[in-house]
Amino acid sequence: MKRNLNILLSLAVLASMVLAACGGAAATPAPAATEPAAVVTDAPAPVATEPPAPTFSGTATITFVQEPDNLNPMYTSMSFSGYLRPFYLKPSWDFDENAQPVPVLVKEIPSAANGGLSADGKTITLKLRDDVKWSDGEPLTADDYVFTFDMIMSDKNTPLGRYPYDTYVESVVAQDPTTVVITLKDPFAAWFTSLFNWVLPKHVLQPVFDKDGTIDNAEWNRNPTVDLGPFVLDQWETGSHLSFKANPVWINPPKLEQIFVRIVPDDAAQEAAIIAGDTDIGAFLSSDQIAKLEAGGKVKVVPLGSGYNEAWFLNVNKDTARPFMLDVNVRKAIALATDRFTIVKDLLVESINPVSVTFWDTTPPYQTDTLQPYPYDPEQAKSLLDAAGWIDSDADGIRDKTIDGKKVDLIVRYATNQRELRKNVQAVVEQQWKQVGIGAELANYSSDIFWNGYNDGGPQALGTYDIAEFSSSANAFPDPDTAGFTCDQIVNADNPDGSNTQGYCNPKLDDLFKQQAVAVDPAARKDLFTQIEQIMYDDYIYVGIWKDPDLWSISSRLKNVKFSGVYPFWNAYEWEVAP
Amino acid sequence: MTNYILRRLAQAIPQLFIISIILFVLMQAFGDPISTLGGRVPARPEDKARLRRQLGLDQPTYMQYVTWLVGNDWQKIDMDGDGVPETPGKRLGILRGDWGNSLVTRKPVLEMISERVPNTLMLMVTAEVVIIIFSIAVGLYSALRPYSLFDNLVTGLSFVGYSMPVFWLALMLMYIFAVNFRRWGLPYLPTVGMYDPSVGKTPLELIKHLVLPVTTLSVISIAGYSRFVRSSVMEVLGQDYVRTARAKGLKAFTVVFRHALPNAALPFITIIGLDIPFLLGGAVVTERIFAWPGMGRLFIDHTERSDFPMLMGILMLIAITVVIFQIITDVVYSLVDPRIRLK
Repeated sequence: MKRNLNILLSLAVLASMVLAACGGAAATPAPAATEPAAVVTDAPAPVATEPPAPTFSGTATITFVQEPDNLNPMYTSMSFSGYLRPFYLKPSWDFDENAQPVPVLVKEIPSAANGGLSADGKTITLKLRDDVKWSDGEPLTADDYVFTFDMIMSDKNTPLGRYPYDTYVESVVAQDPTTVVITLKDPFAAWFTSLFNWVLPKHVLQPVFDKDGTIDNAEWNRNPTVDLGPFVLDQWETGSHLSFKANPVWINPPKLEQIFVRIVPDDAAQEAAIIAGDTDIGAFLSSDQIAKLEAGGKVKVVPLGSGYNEAWFLNVNKDTARPFMLDVNVRKAIALATDRFTIVKDLLVESINPVSVTFWDTTPPYQTDTLQPYPYDPEQAKSLLDAAGWIDSDADGIRDKTIDGKKVDLIVRYATNQRELRKNVQAVVEQQWKQVGIGAELANYSSDIFWNGYNDGGPQALGTYDIAEFSSSANAFPDPDTAGFTCDQIVNADNPDGSNTQGYCNPKLDDLFKQQAVAVDPAARKDLFTQIEQIMYDDYIYVGIWKDPDLWSISSRLKNVKFSGVYPFWNAYEWEVAP
Repeated sequence: MTNYILRRLAQAIPQLFIISIILFVLMQAFGDPISTLGGRVPARPEDKARLRRQLGLDQPTYMQYVTWLVGNDWQKIDMDGDGVPETPGKRLGILRGDWGNSLVTRKPVLEMISERVPNTLMLMVTAEVVIIIFSIAVGLYSALRPYSLFDNLVTGLSFVGYSMPVFWLALMLMYIFAVNFRRWGLPYLPTVGMYDPSVGKTPLELIKHLVLPVTTLSVISIAGYSRFVRSSVMEVLGQDYVRTARAKGLKAFTVVFRHALPNAALPFITIIGLDIPFLLGGAVVTERIFAWPGMGRLFIDHTERSDFPMLMGILMLIAITVVIFQIITDVVYSLVDPRIRLK
């Protein structure tokens, strides 16, 4: 009897604990919801009176499916690390929602007209604003620019990439505290998008460099609390979240008080968090999630082009590709035999992911306006294959040809990673090819193996494929330059780190690529890219499948978000939360 | 006993040594840590070649192992790429307490692990306690009333629980208790994370965020373990000494808790003992779905980037814990079972 009483008692305690936990869950969001309302009412106050100390109100929450690895731009190439930079480390100039430059750290964008860009295109002069301060009150000076260049180039540091500083920059000199003179070795068309997108704080990192001989392991890299943006890193609890708080000394003080970036690695869990209203901005969404996310009417999904297109990269390396891949008519037949229009209609959202044409489709203004996607024309594909001598001689449904006394089947090795969507595309394509007698050998590698280098046996590097499918972009959006299509980049034992895994070599194209890299005049450069695109289009070495914009979700309570493809969060200082 | 423990510890040293060599060699089969560097497009060839040289990844495997083990401060590294090593190495090696730096974050491995261990233990120990309590309670009750309505019900539920995939259960719980309960205006639980950063790391926040992942982790294990407890208790209850105890007129409570349960618990202790070191490894799927910042996610995140210093660190830590807990399990066994004497 007594024992039963004890059990009952403990059950009651347990029940009350559970109730308390659940009750608490319901109670906590209430203040969060009322808090912004209370503060937004006095937000117009500063407008009415003289500008006093800026006031901040409200909190925005963002979810990322990947955690940034490092917050020092020297040591990361992760998109998710770059996305955060407009909070704490502003570029010399922003790119707005139309990819147009907006001066931030500089008074004006250097150009030939204002004397910032010399006639030979080899000297760039940056005139810094004199009122920009690091968050600890130290002024930003030209010395910070020089220091940044020195750190990137110092052999004592191990930055992930030195491009374009090692290739193009001769020197960076502080002429006076607000004048930076950059001397280039050669004219460099892409300086505009790739030089000084970020600057390091000399007064914080120089002492570290002097003491440790390197800034590789500087505390600032993972805990940059001295910042140059509308927000300052407050805390980074690894695996959980990063929090940023308003920076009162920034030239454009923000409206929000706080931004939380929570790491939610699972796509389905992020979806649940967005629907539940636990987050205001979600990143890296896929088009099949749009309907579910927008169903409640509180979330909007925004496509944002950042230069990426899903495409086939055809292997035309004579040493590794199957013989039929070397015949442009067979490559053309493969393209014509594939109904990409049905694929985007059935597997994606056609309005967001239309069939793409060239490598530069989502990189304005370099996208082509004249070229059309290769059509779906199985009959022409069949006659092209017939003419090329690929006939189904053994009636097994797959065309073949006798080359040097050996029968070769027209079986295409079609490789990609393990993404579900890509597997579905492979399955559909295999069926479409069957109708014209092309066989498919499907391969799916895990991403790290798919991208492995030559010495680590990566399938692309070794050329053990005929078609590789993935989403790719130029080096530095919105700049169109890319290294993957030139002869000197072909991967082989002598050049294991080359970036041309297709083995494609066209001297005419090489020449055009060389010309565009130094074409400082934008109109001339666009013209060169029109020629480049035409050559690649006629050579059938790149088959665009769909335009691949990034999908972001925004909750209705967050206002004034203007995403830019270059820096999605570039206008974070203007963000507000609805009352 | 002390002798026994010391001897076991001494045996553990070559054991761990061999494990580390095997792991390090297997690690070479992973992808190239600097093939993409986490970006969306492959890194530039010049930078890859330079990083390989600067980070010592161009060294033969055995040299990389030696560096990992005893450091490279007795060597010079060619940082500037002129073919002449000039910069002295700074690594001390794991034998001197330097677990290396992550290739991804550049942070010391030990620091990264120590950030995650408390989180993982919070989740896993809570789950393990829930699992032990519930599986003993359910298993014992079923065994005492075999083939009763409760027993049949539990048997049925166990099969359901046991056959549920973790990710499915986790997402279902999340959609029911975090998404739909909120939509229906009921008291609800948070979807993801360890705590809401705008509230802070308060005990209440932690408890709220623990409920769903702990339930996910427990349901499946309770289903399995309670069957295990049930059958071993039933077996013990049929033994002669239990009949004797009953015949002596002992109370049912004393018979079960004093005589039957300790004997039935022996195999269960073995299982739990084997479980404990893996608590440290975290739960990959559950941590991922509920965005719990634990060791399982640390491991997966760094596997994707082939960050072998980090992976070596985590695996060695688990190896060390397994070895220690095997010794502890054996010792506990001897304490619980008077028939076993350690020499």
